[in-house]
Amino acid sequence: MVAIEVCGLTKTFGRVTAVRDVSFTAPAGLITGLLGPNGSGKTTTLRIVLGLVRASAGEALIGGVRYAALARPRRVVGAMLESTGFHPGRRARDHLRVLAAADGIPERRVDEVLDLAGLTAAARRPVRQFSLGMRQRLGLAAAMLGDPQVLVLDEPANGLDPGGMAWLRSTLRDLAAQGRTIVVSSHELGEVTRTVDHVVIVSAGELRFAGPLSDIGPTHTALESAFLSLTH
Amino acid sequence: MIRSEFRKLTTVRGPWLLLAAGPLLVVAGITGLVESGGNVHDPGTQRAALAHTGLAAAFTLIFGILAVAGEYRHSTITDTYLSSPRRGHVIGSKLAVYALTGAVAGLVYSGVALATTAAWWAERGGHLQLSAAGTWLTLAGGVAVNAAFAAIGVGLGALIRNPAAAIAAALAWLAVIEGIAGQLLGSSRARWLPFYASEALGRSNLQATARLLPQWGGGLMLLAYAAVFAAAAVFTTLRRDVT
Repeated sequence: MVAIEVCGLTKTFGRVTAVRDVSFTAPAGLITGLLGPNGSGKTTTLRIVLGLVRASAGEALIGGVRYAALARPRRVVGAMLESTGFHPGRRARDHLRVLAAADGIPERRVDEVLDLAGLTAAARRPVRQFSLGMRQRLGLAAAMLGDPQVLVLDEPANGLDPGGMAWLRSTLRDLAAQGRTIVVSSHELGEVTRTVDHVVIVSAGELRFAGPLSDIGPTHTALESAFLSLTH
Repeated sequence: MIRSEFRKLTTVRGPWLLLAAGPLLVVAGITGLVESGGNVHDPGTQRAALAHTGLAAAFTLIFGILAVAGEYRHSTITDTYLSSPRRGHVIGSKLAVYALTGAVAGLVYSGVALATTAAWWAERGGHLQLSAAGTWLTLAGGVAVNAAFAAIGVGLGALIRNPAAAIAAALAWLAVIEGIAGQLLGSSRARWLPFYASEALGRSNLQATARLLPQWGGGLMLLAYAAVFAAAAVFTTLRRDVT
C-alpha cells in the first residue's frame, strides 16, 4: 500500500504565494479529502504531487519517491485534473488508446475502464459531443487505465448529475476497499462527509487541519462549521 | 511513447488534411512554371519543377509545429506529461515520429512532382531526363527538406507553445524576415539561414546568383536548427509549470 506524503510544500508564482509550508499525509488505503475554498491552493498542491508544477520549497512523495522518478507512472498513480484536456475530434476510446500506448497497457484494459466509467456505448463518439459529466467519466477512466494503487482526483464531482455523484461515490468506495490510496479535492462538503475517511483542509495556501474525519465529526453540519471556522 | 505519438496522429483528421495540401501546391506550382513559359527542353526547368517537392515543406513545418503547440492548445499536454514526466523524452519521441511522417509526406510529394512534371513534359513535347543524377538528388533533397522542416516545426512549436503565434512566426520568417536578414548579412553569410539551407538541400534555388551551401551542407544546417530549437525548448519553455 502506497501513501502520499507532502512535506513543507511551498509554491510562489511571481509575488503570489499559492501554497505555504503545507505538510500532510494521505494514508495508504484510505480516501483523503483535500478541502478548501476556491483559490486556496488545492489544485497547485495536487499538481506538485504529480510533477506538473515545480515546488519552490519542500517536496511531495508517492510511496517515498517523487512522481518524476516513477518508471511507469500511470501504473502507480492515476490522475484526473480539471485542466486535463481532450482533443475534440478524437473518439473517447482512441483517447484512452493513446494513453495506453504510452505505458504499454493492453487494449483490453481500455475496454474495461470504458465499462467501469459507463462509457461503452459512447466509446466511438468524438469527445466534442460529450457533456461535462461524460468528460469527467472519461477522465476517471483514464486515471484507472494503469490499474494504479494511488488515485489523485481534482474536483471529480464537477459536472456530475445526482446519478453520476452516486456512481462516483460507490466507485471511490470500491476502489478504496481494494486497498487503494485516494486523494480527492472538493468544495462540496456534503459529498465529502459521505465519501472520505481522512480530511485535509487548506485555506489561503496554508494548512488548517489534517486528520481523520471522525476527529471533526461525521455529520455534514459538524464538517461545515469546522470548515467555515478554519478557513475564515 | 513512440507508439503513443503515432496513435495521436492516426486518431485525428487535422494533420492529414494539412499534409494533403502539399500535393495541391506541388501540382499548382509546376503547372504555373510551365504555363508561365518554362522551357521544357531546359534541364534547369526540369530541376525547378521537381524542386517543388521541397517547397511543399511549408506544410510539413506547420504539421510539426502542431505536435507540441497543438497539445498545449487542447490541454492534452497534461496527460502527456503524466505519462512521461521526463519532458525531454516527450520531445525526442515527437521529433522521431514527426520527422519520419514528414519524410513519408515528402515521398508522396516527390511522386506527385515527378508525375506532374512527366505529364507536362509529355504535353509540351519535352523529354524528361530521369537518368540525370540531378533528378534524383533534387527529389531526395526535397524529401529530406520535408523531414527536416517537420522536425524544426516540433522544436519551434515547443518553444512558442501558442500554435497561432508559432505558425505566424514561422511563415513570417519564410516570407519576409529571412529575405531581409539575408540582405543584411550578405550572401556569404545568408546561406547559413534556414530557408537558404533548405534551398540548398531541396535544390530549389530560384536566385541563381545566391551562393548556397552544398546540398549535404544544407541538410546538416537544417538538422542543426532542429536540434537547437528542440534543445532550447527543453531547457526553457517546456520546464515551465503546467497549470
